[in-house]
Amino acid sequence: MKQGTPAGQSAMEREGPVLETLTRRLAETPEDFLGEPRIGTAGRVHTAAVVGDLVRALGGVAGGAELARFRGADAGTDRNRLAVTLVLCWLLADDWFARAAPPSAALLALLGDEAGELAAQAAAGKFVTDPDRREELARLALARLGYRPAGETPAQAQDRLTTLSSAERARVLRAARAAEERSRAIREALIKKAAEESADKWTRE
Amino acid sequence: MSPADDAPTHHVEAVPSPGGDEGGITDAERYPTLTAHGRRMLDFLQGHPHAPLYRNRSGNRLTADEVEHVRAFEREVEAAAVGWRAGELPPWLDAFVDRCFADTPAYRRYGSRPRDFHDVPTVSRADLGRDVARFVPDGVPAERLINFRTSGTTGHPLLLASLPTVAAGYLAFHQRALRRFAIELTHGRGQVGVVLVGFQRECFTYVSVTPTMDESGLAKINLHPGDWRDPDDRARYLDALAPEVYTGDPLSFHELAALPLATRPRALLSTSMALGTALRARLEARFGCPVLDLYSLNESGPVAVYDEAEGGHVLLQHRLYVEILDDTGRPVPPGERGEVTLTGGFNPCLPLLRYRTGDQAALRVAAGGEPVLVGLEGRPPVRFRTAAGEWLNNIEVTHALKRFALAQFTLHQAADGTLHFRFRGPESQARAIGDALRALFGAGQALEVEADGFEDGKVVQYTSELAGARP
Repeated sequence: MKQGTPAGQSAMEREGPVLETLTRRLAETPEDFLGEPRIGTAGRVHTAAVVGDLVRALGGVAGGAELARFRGADAGTDRNRLAVTLVLCWLLADDWFARAAPPSAALLALLGDEAGELAAQAAAGKFVTDPDRREELARLALARLGYRPAGETPAQAQDRLTTLSSAERARVLRAARAAEERSRAIREALIKKAAEESADKWTRE
Repeated sequence: MSPADDAPTHHVEAVPSPGGDEGGITDAERYPTLTAHGRRMLDFLQGHPHAPLYRNRSGNRLTADEVEHVRAFEREVEAAAVGWRAGELPPWLDAFVDRCFADTPAYRRYGSRPRDFHDVPTVSRADLGRDVARFVPDGVPAERLINFRTSGTTGHPLLLASLPTVAAGYLAFHQRALRRFAIELTHGRGQVGVVLVGFQRECFTYVSVTPTMDESGLAKINLHPGDWRDPDDRARYLDALAPEVYTGDPLSFHELAALPLATRPRALLSTSMALGTALRARLEARFGCPVLDLYSLNESGPVAVYDEAEGGHVLLQHRLYVEILDDTGRPVPPGERGEVTLTGGFNPCLPLLRYRTGDQAALRVAAGGEPVLVGLEGRPPVRFRTAAGEWLNNIEVTHALKRFALAQFTLHQAADGTLHFRFRGPESQARAIGDALRALFGAGQALEVEADGFEDGKVVQYTSELAGARP
């Protein structure tokens, strides 16, 4: 996960809302934003439409080309990413963000690339049910838009986000390494001569 | 003749391997619970004067604990009801989906579990091919894995992870299928339970014993003359074995039926390729026993058995949910045709979560509540153009040909509309087949009918070069 600052934007220079208002909002994410993202003919929630509405509600514009990435093509690979986007949309629909009116480009980057990176690390539901993941998502959203939680200095905010993200990143890296090692062990076991000899089935397909 | 003729009935401790570890493992690993009786059976099968050239080695691989596990599974399968209430999901499904999302890497990457089962993404053979290891749940020990190699009709081989208990578990579903036809297997020590019959230029052949059947014999043979010292040995050997059951495919049974066998099995189990009504009737008359047409996949094991009385293939597995989906992945209305899609199964190494098989059928519930696959056809449908320019679904071709005893056939429509029909079966049928196809496609239809021109193995039954052939 990126820890730095989007190009041309000073990180967390401005003070934002009280963190707890955001984490509480995440904990209370309504069903509509936890619904199944529409991909092809499956799912019900049209993520691209939700993103478009959000950008407009925050005073920006987003064209069809910018929204295309929120339609998804393959449910297996895209649904968690779009599900994280929807949780972020709920978070950013808070009145405070409407007053802040963040730039559309930063918003779309947060809802797109950043959601994709978060989705690779955890199921979308974790950003609603797990306190650490809620805090990480709230801090990250603020940071990517140039804000920090109310009552914190930029250094404090950066430290806390780094701690949360680093711990998560380390956990994800460990899990990824273990998963890759496990896959390799299975692939090797499958191509061994012993596995090749198979075992007795009365019928063969 | 049977190996029990001179077999003592005591001395049942496990026998250490006398060798045979050139394949990477020893006989002690191939047959962990082998007793002197089992060893005698192996010697009989392998050392018979008319035995074929056995080219490979394999075994049941079952430890004593696993034999008990398989026995318990057989009891569970025998007692279980198969099916679910119309419009509902089976009660075991919810916990199964939870487990898939929790402990199977390929499904974990989907993210949070959808509330509605029908929103779970579907999986295809191509997904398995990308990295089948990611479909093996976290807790499965890698050291016990075996593989099932599947070639299908696409030419892309796939290694699927499995376990010795899964291979042995097939028998529970065979027994369930046989019970529909009032057959209880009775063979045991000193008898041959099953001969798996192949008919290919190259075929994996070996001998083994079935521990849950008191070490009855198992032989996997190839009827191709190249595997035998004398082609006449085939009938002599099989009569000596006198197996209770033969398993194979329509091609190998077509060959088996031509042998002058004096002994009769109690049943034939056909898998791997479609078995036509006429060939089944001919085989039943020839062998004087039921011929069961099993719908079985490496990915899932035996799914269903054809039952004429129910008008289709009756499901066999109590923990396998079957959906019929359209091209976009949505369930079709009840009774309509679509792609057979599987969830569940009995292979702990390959939990299936909405696995699209590529096979087509409709699903209806029989009067007794059993789900039945109606009009099962392998592969997606292909349309053929008649002489008058109308389109016919391939299932109409299947219906038109069902009175012919065909071991295997293909129908291809060339870009100019000409139909090429190739079949394996009695050549005398060629003219009548041509007449049946012209009756279907119109008298002016350009048609070539060719007997017996196949390479080994499976074929894609229906193909076309015409645009619009895929509905």
